[in-house]
Amino acid sequence: MAPDSPAIVEEDRVTSFSELFAQASVLASRLVQHGVQKQDRIVLVLPKNTEAIIAVFACLLARAIYVPIHPSWPKERIEAVLSGCAARLVIEADGPAPRITDRQTGVSIPWQAQPTTLPGQTSLPGIVPLLGADAADPALILFTSGSTGQPKGVVLSHNAVSTFVRWTAFEFQIRSHDRIASPSPLGFDLSTFDIFNMALCGAACVLIPAEIVWMPRFLVQFLRRGRITCWYSVPSILAGMLQDGRLAEHEFPDLRLILFAGEVFPGPGVARLQAAIPQAVCANLYGPTETNVVTWCRVPQKFEGSQQLPIGHPCPYATVMVDAESGELLAGGGSLMSGYWNRPEDSERAFVWLNGKQYYRTGDRVSVAPDGSYLFTGRIDRQVKRRGFRIELGEIEAALTRHEDILEAAVIAAEDGRRGTFITAFVRGRIERALTLVQAKAHCAQALPPYMVPDQILFVDALPKGNRGKVDYLALGRMAEGLNRGDQDRSPEVHC
Amino acid sequence: MEIKTEVRKFIAENFLLNAPAETIDDAMPLITGGIIDSIGMITLMSFLEARFQLEFMPREIDATSLDTVERIEKLIVGKLAGRQADVTTRDGQQIR
Repeated sequence: MAPDSPAIVEEDRVTSFSELFAQASVLASRLVQHGVQKQDRIVLVLPKNTEAIIAVFACLLARAIYVPIHPSWPKERIEAVLSGCAARLVIEADGPAPRITDRQTGVSIPWQAQPTTLPGQTSLPGIVPLLGADAADPALILFTSGSTGQPKGVVLSHNAVSTFVRWTAFEFQIRSHDRIASPSPLGFDLSTFDIFNMALCGAACVLIPAEIVWMPRFLVQFLRRGRITCWYSVPSILAGMLQDGRLAEHEFPDLRLILFAGEVFPGPGVARLQAAIPQAVCANLYGPTETNVVTWCRVPQKFEGSQQLPIGHPCPYATVMVDAESGELLAGGGSLMSGYWNRPEDSERAFVWLNGKQYYRTGDRVSVAPDGSYLFTGRIDRQVKRRGFRIELGEIEAALTRHEDILEAAVIAAEDGRRGTFITAFVRGRIERALTLVQAKAHCAQALPPYMVPDQILFVDALPKGNRGKVDYLALGRMAEGLNRGDQDRSPEVHC
Repeated sequence: MEIKTEVRKFIAENFLLNAPAETIDDAMPLITGGIIDSIGMITLMSFLEARFQLEFMPREIDATSLDTVERIEKLIVGKLAGRQADVTTRDGQQIR
């Protein structure tokens, strides 16, 4: 890779590899001089901009663990993560340069990532010797939805991340002339593809302004003007570009690779995508955050879309098997997480040892096609995916019942062709103090990330329950279905 | 119909289960208040573009500029004024 070639492209601002390395080294040195120790947690509450990527590399150079959190998360949830992982430092957006604060002492550390030497000088002032990390050391912690109401931290080692990144670099032949789009926030495992293939292959990581990621028409323009060659996102973003962005009306001569993961991409959408950009290799990658990608399937050139695309065959580094009794997919191998941060019991439950190998219980039910490829058929629990974000419905219920006027809450999700995953919350409030819909939504917005806020909140006098007093979710599903059909009479117990 | 009234009506019908439009006051946070999500923003944008014959540019719309009925009105008034200015300039050039 050439030191002067672009590493990070953020609209008009281009950061070369030498600049990225210099700035990350300066910042890492400052962190080490401040007393940051190996495996200290540094929480990044940053949008995915140039500074955030410099901070990621600085954390890794300082042998610290980076913990990315999306700034749109509510304060309450950010605070839960900060204390949950006993963060040493927090780096937050604050005007042009981020603010770095020591969580223990409250002391601020100046950002000043810019080195003070001229380019071309071989040594940089203020740089302390930085030691390498061990491959088995944690590199990052990704927080995902937890069914009990508290997000869980998935610990990924340097080895786990590089196993995945190296495979993509090899399989999809990422080169220094590639321009990799960066549509996923840092807190999403998909983002390891763009930032670390940039570093591994010398490709440019082209950042997408956060405000256009969910604006299909602008995103299509960005794809063309940014001369993007490689793309990796959740299917919802691609589906949006196909439906509302008029993707098929444009040509993308530079685009050669489109990868998607995180949720089911319905067959017809995949077929339209492949037909719209025929020269691009399209592939479905599969794997939960805990294992990163473990199976994959290349979209056949003339894919009709009448059937769902399989999640495919195992990646070379992955060991995959199916629990014969439950049909659950078990996955292990080089990309497997180290465990959940500070949750030994959850970690123990998540793993299973078979024939001396460690597997993660994915909770995904699969079937095996005649050619040996796996097909995703559903979940064994109440986890759902919405726009690729993973949601434990129990976490929404827990957030709702933290409101003093809510006595009980039950949440269901349904697939809706037009709207995707549609989440309905049934709420039983205190009768004497009627909670309004707007208040209930505002409470959710304060307690949950935007993608977890229910689409619909319905107030009920009682939740339907089975013999053992457990909520009857099937009955709730029928109630929601009746209501959404406009058939108000079927659900007299619901008042809006 | 007044811009704010139309916007209120659209939001009530599409995001608040047909709650009375009057319950949405000018300063009520819609996006940061959990009423409209990112997909909802696209729906709202399409509605505004179609109803007021506008085309938004990338930097014009985000979670801030669409967060309240008041700001949405300001955004539309601004766009309409801009469009008017464009038309005047074009006409002026044609005359010359």
